Amino acid sequence: MRIGCAGWVMRISKYFILVLSAALLVSCEKNSEIKVYRVSKAPLEQSAPQQQDAMPTNTSAPRMPAGLPPAAETAVTTPANWEAQPLSQMRQASFLVKGDNGAVADVSFVSLGSAAGNVLENVNRWLGQLGQPPITEQKLGEMAQRLQTSLGEVTIVDLAGLPDNADPARDGRIIAAMMTTSNATLFFKMRGNADLAETQKGDFIRWVAAVCDAQTQAGPAQIAEAPPQTASAPTIKWTAPEGWTEVPPSSMRYASFSAPAQDGGKIDISIVTFPGDGGSDADNINRWRGQMGLAPVDANAVTSQVAPLKTGDTMFSTTDIAGNKTRTIAAWTRRDGRVWFFKATGPNAAIEKEKSNFVKFIESVRF
Amino acid sequence: MLHKFVDIITSLKLTIVCLAAGMALIFAGTLAQVHLGIHEAQQRYFQSMFVWWPPEGRGFRIPIFPGGHLIGAVLLINLIAAHLKRFRWSWRKLGIHLTHAGLIIMLAGGLFTDLFAVESHMQLANGDAKNYSEDMRQTELAVIDTSGDDLDQVTAIPDTVLRPNRVIDHWSLPFRIAVRNFYQNSRLRMLSQAGEGARPIANQGSGAMIAVEPVTRATASDERDVPSAAIEILPKDGGSLGTWLVSDSLGAPQTFACGGRTWMIALRPARYYKPYSVTLQKFTHEKYAGTEIPKDFSSKVTLIDPERSVNRDVLIYMNHPLRYRGETFYQAGFQKDDSATILQVVHNPSFIAPYVACVIVAAGLLVQFGFHLVGFSRQRRRAIA
Repeated sequence: MRIGCAGWVMRISKYFILVLSAALLVSCEKNSEIKVYRVSKAPLEQSAPQQQDAMPTNTSAPRMPAGLPPAAETAVTTPANWEAQPLSQMRQASFLVKGDNGAVADVSFVSLGSAAGNVLENVNRWLGQLGQPPITEQKLGEMAQRLQTSLGEVTIVDLAGLPDNADPARDGRIIAAMMTTSNATLFFKMRGNADLAETQKGDFIRWVAAVCDAQTQAGPAQIAEAPPQTASAPTIKWTAPEGWTEVPPSSMRYASFSAPAQDGGKIDISIVTFPGDGGSDADNINRWRGQMGLAPVDANAVTSQVAPLKTGDTMFSTTDIAGNKTRTIAAWTRRDGRVWFFKATGPNAAIEKEKSNFVKFIESVRF
Repeated sequence: MLHKFVDIITSLKLTIVCLAAGMALIFAGTLAQVHLGIHEAQQRYFQSMFVWWPPEGRGFRIPIFPGGHLIGAVLLINLIAAHLKRFRWSWRKLGIHLTHAGLIIMLAGGLFTDLFAVESHMQLANGDAKNYSEDMRQTELAVIDTSGDDLDQVTAIPDTVLRPNRVIDHWSLPFRIAVRNFYQNSRLRMLSQAGEGARPIANQGSGAMIAVEPVTRATASDERDVPSAAIEILPKDGGSLGTWLVSDSLGAPQTFACGGRTWMIALRPARYYKPYSVTLQKFTHEKYAGTEIPKDFSSKVTLIDPERSVNRDVLIYMNHPLRYRGETFYQAGFQKDDSATILQVVHNPSFIAPYVACVIVAAGLLVQFGFHLVGFSRQRRRAIA
């Protein structure tokens, strides 16, 4: 009886040890097994109604620098053809833009710590991604564009190149924006088909400006008028005259152009829009006069400086203010609860030469 | 021989030795937490068959003491064997049997929890939705094929596989991955800031401009290691696509093309994807008036499960976790500025074992002491009579 019981114990123990060993083996394998799985590119369904129009953020950045509010707290409107994408670990925003013939571009917003490298290092990294050789600081200075936002100055670069074995429908160009705050480095990047990136460049730069502005609670710097809401402004169309170059707009501007002037100077042309009536004509004209160092004029005298300009689409008010060296010509109109200002400022002679082009530009504007 | 073996595994001496060894192990493991941190100490002392000296990674190692798994397993075998050997059915021993059964369930449950439970975290800012949780203690090299229209194919290689000179050849990849360097904990600095003599360990991507400095393992409970590795991509049809730095602190994944497809690589916390998503609607952190002392913190989340047509709001707060599909979401913490909530996600198939064990042990003790009490009362009554 004693031996029988011992045998039973032995058998039970043997099986138990086998099960235990198998369990330990499974547990060891568990940590060294390579897994393959598929995840959807589509954004997760969100039932929160307040998130419908906000920038999608279906993941948070675990090491996002402190003090930078997550993009989810800002309602930045993105272009309608940008499809929100699932976020990778550090992405605070991710979009896919689709063009013709399978062309795609990937748009991202990444926030890293303040020691994420200087502009040149990152530009050379992006050039490396495009299979291009690195550039020097001097070359960077020539090609980089600056964008003023309420968060600070953003550096924008436009890089082209197709790495070996890359699909030209998906690669070939990087348009990137980068800025460093006291505790974070923000990267905005659009990478994809070269032609598609070109068509999306304006939208991308406007989106960068809007996201930067949304990061600051105070919003854009205050001036006489209410802060502009270019991100929510309706889309207007125009035809830029030959010789004008569209440049990245600042946070206050809807669009910006540059036209060459003599002696290496430039004419700065801007489109600005605000909700409301944008203040009285006298206030605006005197503000522009003040910017040129001219004394204000009486409200009654302002009327004589404003001339109407009828276009195929609407009626504009225009003015021409000449200072000692610089001159400003401006046109503005109020419609659908907004005011639109179109303004060109530059050397006297250059403005005189460009005035006819400016009028053509105003006439081409379609709301 | 057989008798001797049976005598050993069923002896009370073995029980005492195991209990004493367990006490010594707990004492040593607790002291080791000072230098190793709680997680590493748990791994080395309690979740291992042996405690090794010197620790792994020094070329050789010697087992110097039984680990928690071994002591627990021997104790369990000893308990079962001794109970079976001495088992004699009797109502008077019902309490003893129940107590032993409870202890066996508790020990086995503890072992299975150790082996099969998975703990991870889900960090959500207001409005965030996630369908995966992240393991804060394990990292993985995610190699992502992004060429699909709707789906990304992810090949997740655990960091335990990333060891120097190892070549990873997997069916899902048109290239091999040769691990050139691996650092369990590291600090990354731009070459321009790293001083003279600093050299990159990669020649492609952002890693070509970054110096990697190995640092000692993180031991504080609120710190994490920052693993980094240098990996060379070797297409299976020959050649090399260069050496890339992958690191948990790099953040953005890096992209390269191979086999006509675009790939992304990133070293990131291991992810556990779920067939449902959790969206944080609101995180509430209340404090006692006039103080910074937390009074209550809770997370209102929306659970969306398309497969089961579930779309409901749940309030998760202290001692009120969300249990769904075998996983439990506890309110574990929050970001210091209240910008995000941190939910602990626990998948533990044997979570019920301790509850059952406690009930059985309590019942067994009640029965056992009940018998003694009744017997004692009868004797006393007889003596008085």
